Amino acid sequence: MLIANDVNGDRATLKLGGRFDFHSHRDFRSAYEQHLVKAGVREIIIDFGDVDYLDSSALGMLLLLREKCDAAGRSVALSGLKGTVKQVLDIANFGKLFRIQA
Amino acid sequence: MSSHRLTILIVDDTPTNAKQLEAVAHKLGHATILAGNGEEAVAKFQSGKPDLVIMDIMMPVMDGITAVQHIRALPSEKWTPIIFFSALDQMQDIVRGLEVGGDDYIVKPASLQILRAKINSYARVLSLQQEAQTNAAELRNWRLDAEEQSRLGAHVMARLTDAAGLRDPMIRHFNMPADTFSGDLLCAARAPGEVLNVLLADATGHGLAAALTAMPLTQAFYSMTTKGFPLPSIAEELNRKLKAILPSDRFVAATLASIDVRNHTVEVWNGGNPNALFINAHGEVSMQWASAHPPLGILPDKLFSGVTEMVVFHEAGDLVLCSDGLTEAEDPDGAWLGIQGVRDCLASSNDSDQRFTSLLGGVEAHLAGHAGRDDISAMLVSIPIDRRFLPRFDTLTHAHHGHISEWRMDLSFGAQELRYIDVVPAVLGFVTQVHALKPHQGSLFLIFSELFNNALDHGLLGLGSATKNWIGGFEQYLQQRSERLNGLRQGRIDISFLLHQEETRALLDISMTDTGLGFDFEQIQNNTATLRAENQMAFGRGIALVKKLCEQVVYSGSGNKVWARYLVSDQIIEDDDNGPARTDPAGNTGSELF
Repeated sequence: MLIANDVNGDRATLKLGGRFDFHSHRDFRSAYEQHLVKAGVREIIIDFGDVDYLDSSALGMLLLLREKCDAAGRSVALSGLKGTVKQVLDIANFGKLFRIQA
Repeated sequence: MSSHRLTILIVDDTPTNAKQLEAVAHKLGHATILAGNGEEAVAKFQSGKPDLVIMDIMMPVMDGITAVQHIRALPSEKWTPIIFFSALDQMQDIVRGLEVGGDDYIVKPASLQILRAKINSYARVLSLQQEAQTNAAELRNWRLDAEEQSRLGAHVMARLTDAAGLRDPMIRHFNMPADTFSGDLLCAARAPGEVLNVLLADATGHGLAAALTAMPLTQAFYSMTTKGFPLPSIAEELNRKLKAILPSDRFVAATLASIDVRNHTVEVWNGGNPNALFINAHGEVSMQWASAHPPLGILPDKLFSGVTEMVVFHEAGDLVLCSDGLTEAEDPDGAWLGIQGVRDCLASSNDSDQRFTSLLGGVEAHLAGHAGRDDISAMLVSIPIDRRFLPRFDTLTHAHHGHISEWRMDLSFGAQELRYIDVVPAVLGFVTQVHALKPHQGSLFLIFSELFNNALDHGLLGLGSATKNWIGGFEQYLQQRSERLNGLRQGRIDISFLLHQEETRALLDISMTDTGLGFDFEQIQNNTATLRAENQMAFGRGIALVKKLCEQVVYSGSGNKVWARYLVSDQIIEDDDNGPARTDPAGNTGSELF
């Protein structure tokens, strides 16, 4: 999985690309961890625009991120949902757990 | 250079040469074995198991080339390098030496430095090789150990999840694990009173960890189902259990369904699984239940919703549940079977058996011999349209051994508690602890739930049963019921049980009084007779069922009081030894309802 990290003011955006599955565990964690401790970041956006596939362990990683953001006082939102990725997140009703950005 | 101590077999017919080599070897810290010709070398190779061989070629009795051919022909578990050390310096000598199994060739005379360097080099290679061998052996032991544990685990898991309920004639199912263990779990069990509950759960990932994750669901599902708890309460309990034990990145997608053939309803809770489908006789999807909740094990109790979607069915059909392993099953090109592929398989036949075969065949054909990436499971429940007015089960009374002492229980529930307690399973769970009543669990559930629901729905909540009788009415009824129950602020239901003996008969009297307005019971009773044949009137149907199961049912007051007498046994046999009551075949009523 490819991850581009971009910080703009108090908002950090992780733009993901490729397959987001159980192999992505370490990359994904190390990409967001800095934003949990860096002063000034208040919001983490996960951009799924270029993600082709997402499995249930990816959903688990999102839940873990959500928990860590809660503990660190950051908000988290998902964006760029379309196609299969949107379908998987819809079936899991993640709209009830995460803020979704258009 | 190397701390690896070798045993070196030195083969040379000239003692001076042999001694010189031995001195070099000793100086480097290695042990030596000496042989004066090829034949001796083969014998000492077998007895001394050297790590490295330095072999002369021209020797009496047997030359070095022949000796190496013999040595290489011996069965061996490890690789032993052989260095030819010979005065023969022609190209063809060297090639021949390497061809018969030599690993290296040094032409005599050679400097001691070269010899030392060669020995050191082989010591390093041998040390690496031994490490690799140890690792390989360790890996093999690990694998054997893991296989053994898997085998044992699979056995235990199969026993723990073995659902006798899945052998129900209404159910067909398959579960194809991606690994030894399936993280998909299928359960089915009969609730008291003709209701079938099923569960299809899919834990994150696959393999042992996923299987372990799904395990805790089985026990809660079975025990709550057999006690008659409603589906939303079961969903809440399953979620609570998983939330308490799972790490935050693990969860279980699940579909729970409750099929009530007598009342023609299917109730579904779907959290994270593909749509549950109702396929009618024409192979069309006539109803479906999309995932309406996040999977189990994510939300804390107070945010979790056990709200189900209940529909009334008016035609026979098959309810189909599956895990996403089915819709996401990939063909060799990576294309998914998809929900459409699943629907196509199901549409190809009108008969449950063929439909199931077609679905299973369809997935297998799609996978084209490859294993699924994820666990693949599906369950198909054949739902008949039952025109029977009353359940087809005998109210067999049977002998009871031993004296029955009088037992009574009085309960009174106020509005506050009625809003959240599952009164029927809670009370019956207690009542059926009494040995004499245990075999009657199925009948008692039907009687008590009808009486209690009448008291609550019609008495306290003031719901009219007429709405149940037209299409869409039942859904509206349920909606109203849930709204009024949430708003219930006053009212009370008193319940009393009395188990007693009259001569040789054991009787259970149940009385119930609610503080509602009551109803015109005489009119309902008259209407019941005319509507009976059409199986139309839901309310009258309930009362008629209770009347069929009980000896006597008496309404009084304004219709807000009811008294029912149930015959527990008409044959009390007072044993001298007062031994335990024997198990009675009629105790199986619950499983013979259909």
